Amino acid sequence: MSRLSRRHALAGLGATGLGAATAVSALRPRRARAAEPVTVWWTQGFYQAENQAVIDAMATWEKSSGTKVNLTIMNGPDLISKMIAAMQVGDVPDLVHAVTGDRFLVPRAAWDDKLVDVSDVIATQQHEYHQTALESSKFYNATLKKHSYYSVPVKCSTMMEESWRPLIEEAGFSDKDMPTTQDAYYDFFQTVQDRLRSKGRRIYGLGYSMATKEADAGTLFHAFLVAYGGSGIVLPSGKLNVDDPAVRQAAVTALERLTTPYKKGYVPPGAINWGDVDNNNAFFAKQIVMTPNATISIAVAQMEKPDQYYKQVITQGIPAGNDGKPVPSLLGVSPCLIPKGAKNIDGAKALLSAFIQPNTLNTYLKETRARYLPVMASIIRDDPYWQDPADPHRPVAVEYGLIRPTIPWWMNYNPAYAAVLSEQIWSQAEANVTQKGMTPEQAADAAMTRIKAIFERFQIA
Amino acid sequence: MSVASRARLDRRLTELGIGLLSAVLLIWTLVPLYNMVRVALQGKEDVFSSNVFPTAPTLDSFATAIDESYWLLENFWGQMGNSLYIGLTVAFLTLAIGTLTSFTISRMRIRRGWMLTNAALLTYAIPMSFLAIPFYSIMGKYGLTDNPIAVIAVEVTFATPYAIFIFKQYGASIPLELDDAARIDGASPPQIFFRIYLPLMAPALVAIGTYALLLSWNEYLYAFLLLSSDGHITVPVGLGKFLNSDEAPWNYLMAAAIIYALPPMAIYYAFRRKMNSGLTMGGVKG
Repeated sequence: MSRLSRRHALAGLGATGLGAATAVSALRPRRARAAEPVTVWWTQGFYQAENQAVIDAMATWEKSSGTKVNLTIMNGPDLISKMIAAMQVGDVPDLVHAVTGDRFLVPRAAWDDKLVDVSDVIATQQHEYHQTALESSKFYNATLKKHSYYSVPVKCSTMMEESWRPLIEEAGFSDKDMPTTQDAYYDFFQTVQDRLRSKGRRIYGLGYSMATKEADAGTLFHAFLVAYGGSGIVLPSGKLNVDDPAVRQAAVTALERLTTPYKKGYVPPGAINWGDVDNNNAFFAKQIVMTPNATISIAVAQMEKPDQYYKQVITQGIPAGNDGKPVPSLLGVSPCLIPKGAKNIDGAKALLSAFIQPNTLNTYLKETRARYLPVMASIIRDDPYWQDPADPHRPVAVEYGLIRPTIPWWMNYNPAYAAVLSEQIWSQAEANVTQKGMTPEQAADAAMTRIKAIFERFQIA
Repeated sequence: MSVASRARLDRRLTELGIGLLSAVLLIWTLVPLYNMVRVALQGKEDVFSSNVFPTAPTLDSFATAIDESYWLLENFWGQMGNSLYIGLTVAFLTLAIGTLTSFTISRMRIRRGWMLTNAALLTYAIPMSFLAIPFYSIMGKYGLTDNPIAVIAVEVTFATPYAIFIFKQYGASIPLELDDAARIDGASPPQIFFRIYLPLMAPALVAIGTYALLLSWNEYLYAFLLLSSDGHITVPVGLGKFLNSDEAPWNYLMAAAIIYALPPMAIYYAFRRKMNSGLTMGGVKG
């Protein structure tokens, strides 16, 4: 768990300058190597300007280094599939930015010794980086039997809660009535639904994915797991800890608290088949009052409608625990990586080192409209954009993603957890409760049995 | 009730049942297509409204796709050109390989030619998707990644066995006496192939050509795996980029998809009669 204070950030900046400059200059490619191009695969952004910022940054580096960049921008899921295929056959690009790579690509590839150690690139900005972002970039290499940096953090995000103010007001409440603790917060929206339905509105109070596909359902389950005290499901040593009664109870409670509203009709029935986009769409169509989301993209989508952006959509961080204590957010970190077998590793490292210069990174991240947050202290400190008090969404995301306590996902401790996420084991457990009549206890135990089997394959020395 | 009235009643009930079943099947089939058109005719904000009919229908989405004025559609016509290039090349090569093979096996009566036909059909025992990684590996070794030739090669591989099978079956309906007569008149095998075999195979050629074109036209997996750069990708891969965002403009996506569906529909209706006869004749020997 880490905390990034403003003072800490200030202290880090000065110490970083000289060292970073030295490291970057050491990684700059020599002119003699300029002939070999750097092939880059980059996850497509949500916005044209976001992609353009990448293209511009690459063009600038191309000019300064004299090395050609072959940049291909492709959508996220395609990129992951294609990378897996490319690594299988050994025909890989030099540099890859995969938004969900921290879950679905890096942990296993690092384990299999298919990634280049990028500790030297990290070193160029070591003191700038948010501690959790750094922790999220360390993975275990089973061949070399050690943890090291196999990805370079570029941006991050945490789960946020979005709700419609006009609907809450229509139900007779105001912002101040919204509880701040876990159970009370989610129960509140059930009351809102009851009141709106009594007025003849066909609406659901809660709108979250319970599907066994894509990422949203898993993200929400794990936020609940942490809220109920299950953050120790995998220990930093990489050991699975599901036999800890506190972890088991947290999982059972999380399943119970997520599935009961669904069974009672407070979540749209179709949510068992929602993709990551569907809660956004249901929210925009005002079919639901609130929805959790992995970023603030829902609010950002309303940016061109000032009334909705500034007045109607509420963005909040995750609620405190039922005991009133803050709950750490799981920090999702989008990485860059260099696969082994890349033809121009030096060029890729030099390009990456240039890209993670705070100024360059900031220019790029602002074009994501703060859907993604910086992974560096100086960026949020030096640019008022990130904490603009007039903006009702961005500073909230910064607060919960970078200033309040955060923790890394567990695949950093053991890549087995990436397989747990890929197999959607916890979402499947939700389905077992909602559709197969299992109790939360039975579903949790079945999930844990499967998780134990997966961890058997990933023994860390 | 007389026997005649009962028979009339039974007939009416049967007709009513058939009518109802037909109506259900028709609605079942057309609703997705209708939704596609409905979404394309709506503004971005209305896409997820529960209205059955668009409240303010507009052709703006089609104009956007045609003008390429939305950033995800900025190379729509280029991608359409790529799809067309790949589709037509696949169709041509499939027809060329399929007809030459079937001609060689069935008209030139090579020994154990049946083994070739059967071996080719064996490729269908393995689903296309299972071969994705091996194909990716092969294309990588030949330096063909991000090259349309790679996709063409894969599509031709999958389309050709069916083509050979259909051509062989269809060719069996063309009397061998025609070949013998031509040979007596001094025709060489290539002349028989071009002047007798191919003209008589026209319905099967149309059917298989359309099949091969549609196979590659709608293909996504290999196109996305083997092609990368914007200048090479096909429309399905380009439209896949819409699904990256959690605020996808579905109206543009649907409009582009409808436009993309028009060429194969036009081809199908233009050659409908020949296609039908080609496919049915292929299934019945003699």
